[in-house]
Formats: sequence, C-alpha cells, structure tokens
Amino acid sequence: MAAVNTTYGVVAITLVAVATIGIGAFGLRISRTTSDFYVASRSVSPVLNSSAIGGEYLSAASFLGVAGLVLSTGAEALWFPIGWTTGYLLLLVLVAAPLRRSGAYTIPDFAQVRLQSGAVRTVATLLVIGVGWLYLMPQFQGAGLTMRTVTGAPPWVGTVLVAVIVMVNVVSGGMRSITFVQAFQYWLKLTALLVPVFFLVHAWTSDGSPPPVASSDWIQPFGEPDAESMYRIYSVMVATFLGTMGLPHVVVRFYTNPDGRAARRTTLIVLALLGTFYLLPTIYGVLGRIYASDLIADHRADAVVLELPSRLLGGTTGELLGALLTAGAFAAFLSTSSGLTMSIAGVVGQAMSHRAGMSNITAIRWAAVGGVVVPLVLALSAERIAVASSVTFAFALAASTFCPLLVLGIWWRGLTAPGAIAGLIGGGLCAGVAPVITIWTRPEGWFGLLAEQPAAWSVPIGFALMIGVSLATRHRLPADVSRTMVRLHAPEGVDLQR
Amino acid sequence: MTPDPDTDPRTGRVRITSPLTTASPHVRRTVQQEIDESTGIGEVYVRSLVRSQLRAALTVITTLMLTLGALPIVFWLLDDLNTLELWGIPLPWIVLSVAVYPGLFLLGWLYVRQAERSERDFAALLSPTLVWPPPEEPWRP
Repeated sequence: MAAVNTTYGVVAITLVAVATIGIGAFGLRISRTTSDFYVASRSVSPVLNSSAIGGEYLSAASFLGVAGLVLSTGAEALWFPIGWTTGYLLLLVLVAAPLRRSGAYTIPDFAQVRLQSGAVRTVATLLVIGVGWLYLMPQFQGAGLTMRTVTGAPPWVGTVLVAVIVMVNVVSGGMRSITFVQAFQYWLKLTALLVPVFFLVHAWTSDGSPPPVASSDWIQPFGEPDAESMYRIYSVMVATFLGTMGLPHVVVRFYTNPDGRAARRTTLIVLALLGTFYLLPTIYGVLGRIYASDLIADHRADAVVLELPSRLLGGTTGELLGALLTAGAFAAFLSTSSGLTMSIAGVVGQAMSHRAGMSNITAIRWAAVGGVVVPLVLALSAERIAVASSVTFAFALAASTFCPLLVLGIWWRGLTAPGAIAGLIGGGLCAGVAPVITIWTRPEGWFGLLAEQPAAWSVPIGFALMIGVSLATRHRLPADVSRTMVRLHAPEGVDLQR
Repeated sequence: MTPDPDTDPRTGRVRITSPLTTASPHVRRTVQQEIDESTGIGEVYVRSLVRSQLRAALTVITTLMLTLGALPIVFWLLDDLNTLELWGIPLPWIVLSVAVYPGLFLLGWLYVRQAERSERDFAALLSPTLVWPPPEEPWRP
C-alpha cells in the first residue's frame, strides 16, 4: 500500500517538475553568454544567492535522511545536521571572501590561479567529478525510494525521472536559471517540512504526548559510550566540518557574488537558513520513533518523513500534507542534483573545450549528459545504504583533497604545485578507496569502521602530504605568490594591481 | 671668546655648501606603490592584513573546538548530564538539535564584523580618502 495518496503524490511531483523546468525556461531567455551559463554573470544579490545556496545544499540527505537516521540511531544522528551547518561557518572564516576574490570559476580554476600549474588543474578536475558522482548517487537513490513510497512504482522510475529532469534543466538553461530554481526550492523545502509539523505535533499532543519507546543508547548522544562511537562522531565532524568547503556545487556558488564582502554576507545568511531548516527533521525522527518504528526493520527509515502524515493524521489532511512533503523531497533531489551536475559540467566542459576545441556551451551540455549518466548507472546498480551516511563519503573525499588545497592555498605562501598534487592524490586515494571497500565488501569491526568513516585519518594525510611535499620542493614556489596574496585578500574597493 | 669663523666678517670667509643637485629628491611613496611593486614595505602591509584575517579565523576555529568539539567528551565523561531534562526533553537533545544553531550564527556574525573591520583599516591605510565599505550600504547580513 502506498503511504501517500498516489494521485496527490503524482500531482505534487508533477507540479515541482513543471515549476522547475518552467523557472528554468524563464532563465533561459536571459542566459545567453558563456558567463551567464557558468556563474549567472556574477550579479546575484546576497539574499537570492543564499536562498539558492540553501536550496542547493539541502539535499535528500537533509530532507529525508536526517529524520531517518534519528529514527534508527537516535541522538547520534544529530551530529550530521550540526556538521553540515558548521561546514558553512568554516567555509565563511577560511575561504569565502578569498575564494571569490581569486576571480576563478571552479576549484580547478583556483588551483590554476594560485599555483600556475596545468597538472594540478587536471587532478582537481578529476576529483570534482569523483566528489560529484559520490554525492549524486544517493540523491538518485532517494528519488527512487520516494517514488516507491508514493506510487508503489519500482525504485528505478523515480531515479530515472529525476536524472532526466536535471539533464533537461542543466542542458537548456545553465546557472542563471539554476539560481532561480534553487532559491525557489529552498523556500519550498522549508514550507513543506514546516507546515506538517504543526499538524503532526497537534495530533501527538491530542494522543496524550506518548514518549518515544527507546533504549538509553537511542537517547544518549552516541550509541554506547565506547571508543568506536567516539571515533565515529569525531570522524563525521571532520568530514562535514571540512568537506563542505570542497563540494563542487557549493564552491561554484561563491563566484556568483559581486565581491568578497558579499560572499561573506551570503554565507552568513546561509548559516541562518540552514539553522532554521535543521530544527525540523529531528521532530519527524522522534515522532517516527513513536508511530513508525517498524520502518527500521523494513530498511525504509529514510521514508519516515513521507509516511508520518498518513499514519498520524490520516484522511484528506494526511494525504494533502503527504503530497506537500513529497513535493519538498522532490525539490530536494532536483535542486541538489542540478547544482552538482552544473558544477561537474562546468569543470569538465572547460577542460573539453580547451582540448577538443568545441564551443564552451556545447562542451558544457555534453559534460552535463555524462555527469548524470554515470551516477545514474551507479545508483541503479549499487546496494542501498542510508542516504545520510552515504553522502558522508562525498564529504570525506572533499575534506581530504579540496579542503587542504583551499586552506593552504589561501593562507600559506609555501604551497607548491608538486605539494598540491601529492596531497590531492594521496588524500583522494585514501578517502576514495574507503567507500569502495565499504559498499562492496562490508568489513566488520575496527577496520570496517575506519573504512566507513575515513575522514579522521584521510584528512590529516591530505594535509601532511601537501605540507611535507611543498616544503621539500621549495624551489618550485610560484614566482608571483605575493601578487596572488594581494589578489586573494585585499578588499575590492582599494586600487591595487591584482 | 672666539668669533664664529663662518660669520665673522673680519675673516672674509664665505661658507660654500653643496646644493645636492645630483642626489635623488625625497619623494613620498604611497602604500599602493609599495604593494604594487612588491617592495619589502608593501609585503609587510599585505602580510599584516592576511595575519589579522587568519587570527580572526583561528579564533572562531578554537571556539568551535572548545565548545562543539568538546561536547561528545563532556557527554561521555559527565554521564549525569544525559539524564537531565528540560521541559521533559533530555538536555543533550536540546543542546544538539536546537541550541547549537543560534550559537553558530552568532560566531559567524562576530567573525564577519571583525573581518570587515580589518579590511576597512587596510583600505584606510592605502587611501585615506576612500570610504570602504561604501556608506550607503550599512552593515546588514
């Protein structure tokens, strides 16, 4: 039996899809130049831009995954949204303004500006693709799960549907339309999660406010207070705190700010938007523990957000609210996937147009198709793991590679191109092999834990390699590092050569 | 008392001094030039800006490590905290699901204020007439 009324659910999904493509088409009319396509010609105001960042960032993992993880693991899950928000604080203090001032479009561009090396650029391009695919896969899987919950259709239907809409949207409009789409989707997601909360909590109090039936390790901030759960929490912290700044779809947004100061303000508003949003999923998780704990045994904990209205309210109210939540979930898949695909396409398209000599926009369109197809195949073939934990692999990979590159590149004059390459490859291998081991062999015990949560050891390795090899290759320091530092740190208002 | 030989009319001596026509005149160089030409002084100005921005960032990071970073250990060591309840909700849940978010925003807000102040000082040093940030844009997040 479908938990959400199928007709309402299908209408909700259709509306979101039409609105997304519609706003995308509106953007198409003003998206003509390559600069429009990449970064909306850098004329997006902080409020619009931060709504767009929020819309893009709040993925299936936030909309469905957090509540699902709270339902199954309890207080320990609360560290995920904390980490995803704190990641923005660290992005704000370490990279926001200098990244914008570097004047580059993407992370490979940044590497080129800072280190004057084509080799670093190539390695960074490959890593952008890797992080993007790891992040896209759970989005597509989440779409399949939602589609199954709503219509009873096999999971591949939702997966393919989202992939196709994203492809059409990115190929047709580019970043400008994405900005409007994303901003709209932040507010849609917030509304979709906020409105049902009032009804659900009211129903719960009318029910006599039963407490969740749970053991003490569900209530305590970590499962059982032992060394393993401590390691897991700290590793999640490292991955999410440091990984956010290296996610390709997050970084590309910073180039759409008019200047470094606006980049900081944008990030601050994003902190407020995320903090507001993340108050809500916990409520669903806890109510789910009371009314829908059978989902855990069914391996469908991620569907708790969608199931609650029909279980707790029933009737037309429950069906309508279920449809609203379905719309929010689809907005989450579409916005994150579009942003990711756009950023992969931007990076790969640049590389392709350099080499193959095709026009920029043609290259981006082809790259968008490739950027969607591979994770689509992965999502259809790989076994499902909880959405919130599988995005952690993408965070860990970004934290082990792009975080050292950005932080050292911005604050340390001593970074050299060989050092950057060593760190990107070393950190990338550590954090890239770990998910492969976890997904295909599922090892047990400490080894399994180290593979499941690699960030706590792979991030130090990335930093150490970058610093160590840079110190050993001091003769390769880029000649104009002083000029680059001026460019990264001096406010735009002062008249300096950059 | 001996008369000053330079001014005593009886000696008939005239003081001859070099007009220093070949020495380069002393010109005041601006901070802009120092930075643009990557001189030692220019380097000092840029380094001091970078260092004050880095100090602000490290302050935020240290605060984070001492608060959020210490929370798991605190909850682990002080087991009694886990049983405390506020309005029927266990204290760790209130801290982790509500209280941290305003705290993160506050840290961010303080940082942005400090970072913009450093930039304003740097801009004032370079061009005292330039008002940065532009006055028609009051600080608003």
